Amino acid sequence: MAKVATSAELRVASQRRWSERAIPISIQIGAWVSFVILLLPVAVVVLAGLNSGDYLTFPPEGLSLRWVIAFLTSPAWMGAYGFSMALALVTMVISTVLGTAAAIVLSRYRFRGRDMLRAYFLSPLILPGVVLGLALYVFYVVTDIGLAKSMTGLVIGHVLVTCPYVIGTVSAALVAFDVSLEEAARSLGASPWTAFRRITVPNISAGVAAGATFAFIVSFGQFDVSLFLSTPNLTPLPIALYVSLRYTFEPTAAAAGIFAIILVVVSMLITSRLVSLRKFGGIKFS
Amino acid sequence: MSNIPTDTGKNISRRNLLKRGAAAGFGAGLPLFNINHAWSQDVYYDGQVFDAGGATLNVGEWGGFWQEFVTANLLDQFQKDFNCKISYDSSWPWFPKFVAGGVEKPVYDIANWNLPDMFKTARAGDFFLKKDELISNIPNAKDCWDFAFENGIGVTWGYGQYAYAYRTDIANPAPTDFKSFWQDQYGGGKRGTYITSNTLQMEFFMTASHVFGGDTKNIDAGYEAMRAAVPMKISDFTGNMQTLIERGEVNICVQWEGEIYNQVDKGVPVAAMVWQELKPILTQTKTISRYSEPLQKRLALALLDRTLDPAYAQKFAETFYMRPTNGKAVIPPNLASKGVVNTADATNGLVTMDWNWYLDNEDDIVETVNGIFSA
Repeated sequence: MAKVATSAELRVASQRRWSERAIPISIQIGAWVSFVILLLPVAVVVLAGLNSGDYLTFPPEGLSLRWVIAFLTSPAWMGAYGFSMALALVTMVISTVLGTAAAIVLSRYRFRGRDMLRAYFLSPLILPGVVLGLALYVFYVVTDIGLAKSMTGLVIGHVLVTCPYVIGTVSAALVAFDVSLEEAARSLGASPWTAFRRITVPNISAGVAAGATFAFIVSFGQFDVSLFLSTPNLTPLPIALYVSLRYTFEPTAAAAGIFAIILVVVSMLITSRLVSLRKFGGIKFS
Repeated sequence: MSNIPTDTGKNISRRNLLKRGAAAGFGAGLPLFNINHAWSQDVYYDGQVFDAGGATLNVGEWGGFWQEFVTANLLDQFQKDFNCKISYDSSWPWFPKFVAGGVEKPVYDIANWNLPDMFKTARAGDFFLKKDELISNIPNAKDCWDFAFENGIGVTWGYGQYAYAYRTDIANPAPTDFKSFWQDQYGGGKRGTYITSNTLQMEFFMTASHVFGGDTKNIDAGYEAMRAAVPMKISDFTGNMQTLIERGEVNICVQWEGEIYNQVDKGVPVAAMVWQELKPILTQTKTISRYSEPLQKRLALALLDRTLDPAYAQKFAETFYMRPTNGKAVIPPNLASKGVVNTADATNGLVTMDWNWYLDNEDDIVETVNGIFSA
């Protein structure tokens, strides 16, 4: 039986059509060009990974799953993939906790040097990754505190790089958050912790989730910092990709890229499923 | 005991030498430096297996398939035999890591190199054992060709000659000498070489300087040769260049022989024209860190000795088409079928470039050649 649209649904559809018409054609074209530019490399990686030839080339000589199978059956590749995923998960958790705390302090409290502190927190985004990686490596070696070539040292490097993303997204969510909601909870007898947990956290959860997703993705694809800080016998996927391109130039690297893309897409889907990303950015903040 | 030959013909131990040097320094008002530090102990290796008590050996070597091969064919057994653990790091480059740590905190006990980076690191400090210290402690060294130690810093255990790869179905006539690369038939961007940071381009440049200017250091002749060769396809890696020639995007390119033989065996219509006017070689060279702990240094010497083992060298040659420097190693059929032999005659005239000179002039060469390539 055909579903009959309600008046509310018709109203929403009408608003959407009007909203689309309101966007200038030049901006619409720009948006589509952006989509194509962003998606083309993904398509190239996928097709190159399905190449039947011996080398990583585009267009592919033919289609085959041989390099996908080679990736899935290679202990080195799967080890690198699994290690990068574990590293990204650990980094995501730490960065989310630290970044959220930092964002709350920077957004809620007024103190001298706050802007400078904010810039300091965001500085890893500005510094070239190679410089940051080398600087950290030199610091670890010179101080001799056992962090050079250690898992802890590598995680610290990844947290430094990913934390600014969490700070940025959580800060944006906090800007749109109406503090009076928390004050109302306090006036009704909630403790500061209860008010934070039951009022603030649910309202900024979209920002936190977005930051956590960014942290995971950035850590998973991090190359520069890993190049200097990675631990022996444990190779992150981006380093394994670099090594492969340097010495064999096989399409296994592109096959690995396919699985990296899948992981990123899945993580985005899970995040958007758990917390509607539409909430983030103040589009619909309830 | 590790001995250092002296001018007087007498041999003195390194410990005594260090003590004498320290005493001289003290007399001159300088501080006594680390004379009792562990690394000042003599370290020797006689070819026998010993129990390392679970010690960790830090190794810097290439990753990927290379790592899988080395682990399966060398390191797994080595760890069992010597009761040690290998900490394998493949995140190249090594140079900044060595320099960041300083000479007394070497990041690796044993490292595998291409020569330019090895020389660059050696210039930055007293990081590595010298040739004589290595030779006297590696039993397999006695069977190696002299050029394996020519660089004076590390031991070269595998090599391949530089060559042109060319399309057999297109090149007419086929290249016969180094200058053939500049023939008109390869004009219009059908020549291929590498970015200036790739060792193959460095070797190509210096060989062109030699062939066109009479000396590898005649950089003006090298610049002129590069100008005459453009437009060229510039590749980052040899693997990428293999792709370019297989797809016919270049008809001739700079390559080392092993990559070409590998393509020949895969049925790609290419052949090698090995350079004869000058015979530079692509090398795999290992160094041992001077200031590693004595046990690690001894393990490193043992590992280097095993790397030079004829049986391992043969397996390596079979897989990577790389010639062994051990004269007792048997050339496998995949190389023998290309005319490769392991004789004194075959190694005559092999050249190790003057990398110290190149590094002194690197900035000028890189800037000028990059300008030529991008023009």
